[in-house]
Amino acid sequence: MDFTLSSLMRRRGKNAALIVVYVLIVSLLGSVMFFTHALRREATAVLSESPEIVVQRMTAGRHDLMPASYADGIRKIKGVAEVTPRLWGYYYDQLFGSNYTIMVPSDFRYGAGEIAVGEGVTRAAVTAEGNLMPFFGSNGKMTPFKIREVLPVETELISSDLILMSGQDFRALFSLEKDLFTDIAVSVRNPQEVLTVAGKIRSLFPDTRPILRDEIIRTYDAVFDWRSGILLVIFSGALLAFIIFSWDKASGLSPEERREIGILKATGWETSDIIQMKFWEGIMISGTSFLVGLILAYLHVFFASASLFEPVIKGWSVIYPKFRLIPFVSAYQVATLFFVTVVPYTVATIIPSWKAAVTDPDEVMRN
Amino acid sequence: MIYLENIRKVFNQGRPNELIAVDGASLSIESSKVTVLKGPSGSGKTTLLSLIGCMARPTSGRVRLNERDISGLPERFLTAVRRETFGFIFQQFNLIKGLTTLENVMLPSYPSGKKYDLLRDRAMDLLNLFSLGHKAASKTEWLSGGEAQRAAIARALINNPPVIIADEPTAHLDTKLSREFMEIMAGLHREGRTIIIASHDLIVYDSDLVDTVIEMRDGRVENVG
Repeated sequence: MDFTLSSLMRRRGKNAALIVVYVLIVSLLGSVMFFTHALRREATAVLSESPEIVVQRMTAGRHDLMPASYADGIRKIKGVAEVTPRLWGYYYDQLFGSNYTIMVPSDFRYGAGEIAVGEGVTRAAVTAEGNLMPFFGSNGKMTPFKIREVLPVETELISSDLILMSGQDFRALFSLEKDLFTDIAVSVRNPQEVLTVAGKIRSLFPDTRPILRDEIIRTYDAVFDWRSGILLVIFSGALLAFIIFSWDKASGLSPEERREIGILKATGWETSDIIQMKFWEGIMISGTSFLVGLILAYLHVFFASASLFEPVIKGWSVIYPKFRLIPFVSAYQVATLFFVTVVPYTVATIIPSWKAAVTDPDEVMRN
Repeated sequence: MIYLENIRKVFNQGRPNELIAVDGASLSIESSKVTVLKGPSGSGKTTLLSLIGCMARPTSGRVRLNERDISGLPERFLTAVRRETFGFIFQQFNLIKGLTTLENVMLPSYPSGKKYDLLRDRAMDLLNLFSLGHKAASKTEWLSGGEAQRAAIARALINNPPVIIADEPTAHLDTKLSREFMEIMAGLHREGRTIIIASHDLIVYDSDLVDTVIEMRDGRVENVG
């Protein structure tokens, strides 16, 4: 081990350059992996709280408003636990060129003319808690709303562009009649019966579209897989360059290295001693790079909000959420990264040394 | 005693560039004596030295160390014999660049598995013996020719081998350093070690120290005297 360390220190510049490139590759690959997994996990966690079925009304293939009477009809279906008509929509802020999502929570705790907004909204509209925020209604009239609360940063993944207000204000703003809702959330007693209930809703109200929670989760998974795939394609160039670089470095021994192996053998080192030394050399370089790369990827994703490639993966339309993902690293992810980066490098280092070490030392020295 | 029986060493056998380096050499080398393999370049001295020192296997023939046939030993055992029996001094000293003099001297002892402190103390003793203690931390590329030569001898002695093998050790040394080398060999001879040197340097084979001169030409042993 002492000799291995001294040996590595001799080629300080070369090894340092190799480690820098290696760290970069591991941290990029690790970041993509951590980020997509954490996002997917977060999205799944958020969606797991959502209702099993969301029922939308369709007119001419477009999402239409839902009459309150539909909720009463659905409530009568056997197996339905809870039916909640919901009000939500989008608002385009002409002043700041931003799109907001406006929702009416069933337990909105503030009064008329008051709203709660996401962090992204305060950034986009350059405002803060306590300020008045102007809204232009569908009748063209301007109504100011007082910001009573800025939603906690922890929820920013889903609340960044969110504005919460009372049902009364929502209806006034969008000139919505009293018995119309955006859609209906339905929860089912027995998860096994979700499909059956959805079918009954569809036959009772043929102009509706029941959307299942599992379908949404699958769509999210596909989207994140697709996006991480795009990133991996982008980075595959860098990965390929690294593979060529490490293969070139590791697979061909320089005449100097061959001579050294010859000297070691001539002075009494066994082939296994030399392979062991080369193995430790490879492990020191790849292990150090792997650990540093992994830590950098972790910091990048969970502390710096993956600032390098968030536009690709998060893909918000106008307002990008600024949030910290809940750190989550699985052994499976680490093992995958390890096998993709450390194992090939170590093998590529050992094979040529083994080839040089199995020949007679005098031949190695003569060459 | 080291016995060589009808030794033949062929490089690149069966290829167009086949080379017969040693052709039917038979001789015996006495323990605790100084033997010189003498002959022009390409006469097979270095190859014969490699075969004696277990650095290569003969294509045919036998090498016996005392009564043990070592020419057919598997690589692992051959390495152990090489480590425990022989200390090598190479033509260009073959010190590893970038490592300190101390590390170079310690190199052959690493596989022995002894404690690092013990090995370091032994290496320091040898360096002090050859007046190189102050150069222990110096990189070997900074050593002068004489210092590099003494460092190479110290390295050959680290495992305390009974046989010292030197291949053209004075080829790159001036007369003063060549004589200095022979004085060191005389000291090792007095300690009872067997010394085998391949050389065509007059200072070496004409030295009073030498007991036997084996003359070689074209891979064959011409004369033993």
